[in-house]
Amino acid sequence: MGKKEILLSIIFMIISMTIYILTYQFPQQTVALSPAVFPRFVSACLFIISLTLLIQGIAGIKKDSEQKKVKLTLNKAFIIRLLLMTFLAFFYTRILTIVGYVVATPPFVAGTMLLFNEKKWFLIVTVSIVTAVLFYILFRIVFKIPLPRFNLF
Amino acid sequence: MLAIIQGFLYVLHPLHFIFLFLGVAGGIIVGAIPGLTASVGIILLLPLVYQLDASTAMVMLCGMFCGAMYGGSISAILISIPGTPSAAATVFDGYPLAQKGEAGKAIGIATIASTTGGIISTFCLMFIAPQLARFALKFGPEEYFALMIFGLTIIASVSGKSLVKGLIAGFFGLLIATVGLDPVTGYARFSFNIPNLMAGFPLLPVLIGLFAISQIFIQLEAVGEKIRHYKQKINKVLPSFKELKSLFPTIIASSFLGTFIGIIPGTGGTIASFLAYSEAKRWSKNPDSFGKGNIIGVAAPEAANNGTTGGAMVPLLSLGIPGDVVTAVMLGALLLIGIRPGPLLFKEHPEIINSIFAGMLLANVLILLLGILSVRLFPQVLRTPDAILFPVIFTLCFLGAFSLNNSVYDMSIALIFGVIGYIMRKNGFPIAPVVLGVILGPIAEDELGRALIIAHGDWSVLFQSPIAIFFYAISLLSLLYSLKRQFSVHLKTK
Repeated sequence: MGKKEILLSIIFMIISMTIYILTYQFPQQTVALSPAVFPRFVSACLFIISLTLLIQGIAGIKKDSEQKKVKLTLNKAFIIRLLLMTFLAFFYTRILTIVGYVVATPPFVAGTMLLFNEKKWFLIVTVSIVTAVLFYILFRIVFKIPLPRFNLF
Repeated sequence: MLAIIQGFLYVLHPLHFIFLFLGVAGGIIVGAIPGLTASVGIILLLPLVYQLDASTAMVMLCGMFCGAMYGGSISAILISIPGTPSAAATVFDGYPLAQKGEAGKAIGIATIASTTGGIISTFCLMFIAPQLARFALKFGPEEYFALMIFGLTIIASVSGKSLVKGLIAGFFGLLIATVGLDPVTGYARFSFNIPNLMAGFPLLPVLIGLFAISQIFIQLEAVGEKIRHYKQKINKVLPSFKELKSLFPTIIASSFLGTFIGIIPGTGGTIASFLAYSEAKRWSKNPDSFGKGNIIGVAAPEAANNGTTGGAMVPLLSLGIPGDVVTAVMLGALLLIGIRPGPLLFKEHPEIINSIFAGMLLANVLILLLGILSVRLFPQVLRTPDAILFPVIFTLCFLGAFSLNNSVYDMSIALIFGVIGYIMRKNGFPIAPVVLGVILGPIAEDELGRALIIAHGDWSVLFQSPIAIFFYAISLLSLLYSLKRQFSVHLKTK
């Protein structure tokens, strides 16, 4: 318990307050269940529980400072890998429909393997091509699920 | 009886049997890999089974469920890391047995115990579920709403270390579910005139993101860490007749215990296996041998955790509420396929129910066959490097998210929820309550809306039915129990 809990509880409180305020834009329904009732109830509960977490977080910080100071160490390499992976996935979702599954997938698999610290180039090339082919067979041929294709026009 | 035979004939059709086989084998592989659970396996399978007819899809998903529950024991025995949380208790005696050079025997016992547990629990499912469903046919919207409230109290049970964080996760899931068309008036809530948001967040990409993609991000953190490999030789799989005879009472008792625990919503395989282990130790003439490679210590938890498979399906199929996290995902799968579990399913689609019963029985027989015959093959999965396994799964996640609606938007949703899931998990927020909220929230709201329409907006209708009051009472009890448990854990840690 500590700073992270405080930050996250504040985020959840902001989300719940925003949701609650937004429900006032909804049309009023008097006969049965108004569309605002359920979101209001849920956001109010979320706010109260987040407030509990906030109090726990503040109490946790006091306790920590009384006992010992824990040094937080962030693994820089991991954070870079995580950000690169998220960006790679985002890029894949963008280009898939533009260049098609066949072109987009092998570089995506290869990129992810590199981020998982795979260094053998032969393995990277083989796995990325085999994965793309196998999933093509599974989705397109076995289960007849259409995959994005490259269209010039 | 005839209906069950029809179920068997359906599953034994070569094409359907292949899907069951693939489900079981895939489940064993998924279960054996630490980090991947039955829930992840079911979610990854969903985009593919979505294309199949409902009965085949359910048979394959049940195969995956049972297979993964057993598969967790393989890594628990060989490398002391449970493949699934349910196999955690198997480590205590499974790993010492493997270190003594009896890995094959330990896996063999786990296979026999898992199969027995699975078969006994499926028979219980076949007997109990139809009776419960018959009773549930009397339910109206107000009773269903109360039932869903009870279902939502499972959030407290699956909250893990922090009840507050679990509840936040659950209510966050409920909030996610409010995006999109209101079930009563059809008003598009929180859509900001964005067409994609009008239909709400698509369930499958949300599940893929929360469970699978977030797990891959977590695995990324382990890059560079030393991977544990097994060096043990796997031979002499089958225990002797004398050993089997001594194990028999424990296996049977643990199977029933697992089934009973599985039926109680909010419990699951982990609780069942630990309870069965401690009971086996308590009743043993030689309790000191536990933890040092006692074969009963492998049989008891494995019979119990596979015993929960049939048990957890009882409330899911007959009442439409999940028994644990995996069945919550299964409920999502059923809804995606277009089936609403509950008493009407027994009345309107008995063929699906019968194929599930037959599929689960045959899945357990397949576990026995595959477990014994491929005892040297499945552990090879543990040798697959993360750098190959997780990029392949990562790709499958995106293709799965895309495939349902052929939509790039769905892929983006999977990625966004993957990041959200990762942040939540890293900060101690459990994912299971989010999923429960996302799945049960809309059903609860729908039933509430119906009840109020019938009663012309009179809220007191919710508290007039004795059945509804019963469900409110057990919901309250369930919450109080979770609070008490949380409080006692807090006192212990102090």
